[in-house]
Amino acid sequence: MATTTATVSITSSDLVPGMPVSINASSTLYQTGTTTGLELVEMGRGTLTQASGADALADALGTADTTNWVYICNKSTNVEQYMIIGIHETKIGHLGSEEWLWMPWNMGDSDAEINIEAEASGSIDYEYAIYRSTNTLPAKT
Amino acid sequence: MATLIPTLTLSSTDATTDLLSFSVTDSLSVTAPHIGLAKASVTTVGANNIIQPATDGQTYYVYVKHTGVDASGSAVSTTLNLELTGDVVFGKLAAGEFAFLPVGGHSLGVQLQASSGTIVAEYAYFTKA
Repeated sequence: MATTTATVSITSSDLVPGMPVSINASSTLYQTGTTTGLELVEMGRGTLTQASGADALADALGTADTTNWVYICNKSTNVEQYMIIGIHETKIGHLGSEEWLWMPWNMGDSDAEINIEAEASGSIDYEYAIYRSTNTLPAKT
Repeated sequence: MATLIPTLTLSSTDATTDLLSFSVTDSLSVTAPHIGLAKASVTTVGANNIIQPATDGQTYYVYVKHTGVDASGSAVSTTLNLELTGDVVFGKLAAGEFAFLPVGGHSLGVQLQASSGTIVAEYAYFTKA
């Protein structure tokens, strides 16, 4: 079964004099409670505008309380611009210019969409990837 | 002020017919306060496991890893909740998993909560300059 590995490295040579920071971690992306790899992947790039308000990057179209992962990167090089990241009504944080995040998204219930919003003025390019345990296809209309 | 360099790599040799080899890095300006890397034995009461203080609008870069063991060192498979203070769950980590994300723009901190028993978590946070 196919697997994907996520690795993070966090370093600093000047945060504490004489004590460089070097944090490293690696994990294989598995489906909920299994050793079967996550194989449903959505990757893309988009543009947000402040005028559009909050947009849903992804709806919780899957089984609640499952293992899913989200990567988002704010591609703007303007330090005045940031993205507000949230899940439904919960605001998590601000993703500044050229910053990225890697976080679990467990779809606690059907109202657990990932929200992204551009601040301040203008438009922000972003890229993202979502790894899902399950996905429910939209109903035929 | 100091510089923090986080790098994320996603790789797979068999997820698709095309090899996945993706890497993104950044250079973050950070300042005090910060916790370089710490461990906590997390219980089932999130309010007792606050790892990052209330933000007051400030942004913190937060790293959390589920080490896969409990307070006695035994392996555990229970999940570790990532929560904003006030018991607002925004993610769950299984054994061995980690997260790195910015938290802030509001007045809440970050707390951890074990779904049962205890879970040893590694964590760090850095304040955006």
